[in-house]
Amino acid sequence: MNDSSWSIFVVLLVLLSFILVGLRQKSRESQEYGFGGRYTGRIGGGAAIASNWMSAASLMGLAGIIYLRGYQGLAYVIGWTGGYVLLLVLLASQIRRFGKFTTPEFVGERYGSPAARLMAAVIAIAISIIYCVAQFKGIGLIFAFMFDIGYEQGVIYGALAVVSYLVVSGALGVPRNQQLQYLVICVAFIVPLMWLARKLGYFWLLPQFGYGRALTDLAREFRIDFTLPFAGDSLFEWCALCFTLMVGTGGLPHVLSRFYTVPNVRDARWSVVWGLFFIALIYWSAPAFAVFGRLLEARQGIVFTPGTARAAADVIALKTALMAGLPGWLVGMLAAGALSAAFFTVAGLLMTGAASISHDLYYSFMNPRASETARMQVAKGGTLVLAALVLLVALNPPGLIAEITAVAFALAGNTIFPLFLLGIWWDRANRYGAIAGMVTGVLCTVAQPLLGGVLPGLTSYFPVTASALCGAPLVICVMIAVSLATPAPPEEMRRFLEQEVHGHLD
Amino acid sequence: MSRPEKTAKVNLLRPKEGHMRDEVHIILAILFGWGVCTFGFQFLVYACRGTGAGSLLTRLTLFNLPLHFWFTGQLLPLWFIVLCVIFNIYVDRITEYHSRRRDRSYE
Repeated sequence: MNDSSWSIFVVLLVLLSFILVGLRQKSRESQEYGFGGRYTGRIGGGAAIASNWMSAASLMGLAGIIYLRGYQGLAYVIGWTGGYVLLLVLLASQIRRFGKFTTPEFVGERYGSPAARLMAAVIAIAISIIYCVAQFKGIGLIFAFMFDIGYEQGVIYGALAVVSYLVVSGALGVPRNQQLQYLVICVAFIVPLMWLARKLGYFWLLPQFGYGRALTDLAREFRIDFTLPFAGDSLFEWCALCFTLMVGTGGLPHVLSRFYTVPNVRDARWSVVWGLFFIALIYWSAPAFAVFGRLLEARQGIVFTPGTARAAADVIALKTALMAGLPGWLVGMLAAGALSAAFFTVAGLLMTGAASISHDLYYSFMNPRASETARMQVAKGGTLVLAALVLLVALNPPGLIAEITAVAFALAGNTIFPLFLLGIWWDRANRYGAIAGMVTGVLCTVAQPLLGGVLPGLTSYFPVTASALCGAPLVICVMIAVSLATPAPPEEMRRFLEQEVHGHLD
Repeated sequence: MSRPEKTAKVNLLRPKEGHMRDEVHIILAILFGWGVCTFGFQFLVYACRGTGAGSLLTRLTLFNLPLHFWFTGQLLPLWFIVLCVIFNIYVDRITEYHSRRRDRSYE
């Protein structure tokens, strides 16, 4: 078998195993487990958080951006891990005690406004769409690699595969086994890396440390300095990107709703620590792929020009494995890991997005008397519409996987993070503040693409992938100012915040 | 006679006494550790460019990685995990302390 048939085989095996395990889980679940899902413990909860988080951006985009931009790419590593600190200390236990699981539900309840809820739902759906575009790009690239076809065909086949998987798994009611999924992703990413390090003659037991020597070799043999700080970009750009990804992590709807599968607040908090550890395990490894890839290219005399590098960046992990001549099944494993990460992220996001369309837009806002069947149909139609929209954008992707993902984080950091932060930590925040904040946040996110031509200054302060460093504080100020200028929120909500969310131990 | 309205009961910058104040103290301490190490270090690298200290930061190696690259790429994610562990241990302790206090008040 050649590389691509191996990867098709491994990918099919992985997808099939998820369906089988899901079915087994389902029959056990209905007998043994009650409301709230399966009790998995702190480590299991952590693995679930990590697998929910892992996407094409982590497994393909991260290595790609570091390969392309060296030290600047580390802003992604820091942003995507440091955000969990914010999430844990500022939001995790309080949101859980608040008791509303999705972003529109929280906003609707806390700010007591259907309009704010509607806006939050639209923003959450927009975040899902942007995030999905990045995943679709990843899926398209891997499909193109597996079947040896063009990228556009790859995206179309990939989209068909995701939607049909959703239809099948939806009909079977397959619950995703996220611990197994994390294990598959982690093994699929790290084993090829160890093999690669060994093949190149570096310390392979912990390739996360072994790539140091490759970096030194790269500098010595080819005078390529990968580590130069702030070479092509400024300090402000580095910090803005890092901060944006951090607050975005704290505001990403599918991450926020992750704290309810663990039975109590204490376990939820500790599973964040485990989740962060599992995520860091992948993030310590991603730069190694970038460095090995660059070294192999230099050794094979491939010239690194901005254009070709940008085209190769998102598939650098796969390309590196191929260049090093790794066995076909190992390359297949790597492709399968990245594909299943992207696949399940898309499936999760499309399902949540469709549920939001059906529940928050259709049922709560447009037709409160809709029957169960009508809502189901809207949800199914919503999935298709969302998938079609994402496919349309992904056919001509506007950037690298990591960059597209960063825009979703910027939108989340500019809108949802301030809403949750003030909603939980300041009882005076009211619906007018929330709506003004959301409008400001959306404006900050789209400032560069929409107004950059008219007001060039905006481009430097609100770059599209990193607008939250200036955006999030601005939104918080707007929310505070508007809230203070308008009537206070109802006394019941303020009492609820004081007594239930913060005063449970008074 | 109407009582004066009680305002701003929940405010991150002015926490009420008891559990919330303890919790806010640890939150601010963790955020300080998070901010200084993430952004403070980058400022340091930037400010020291071209100086002796700067070359110390970028030429000194650990695990064959230049110090600044190692700090950002490997130590910082570990530091975030450490911060989360410290936070959880501390919050577990104050939760226990305040639960005991509350139970006694009902005796």
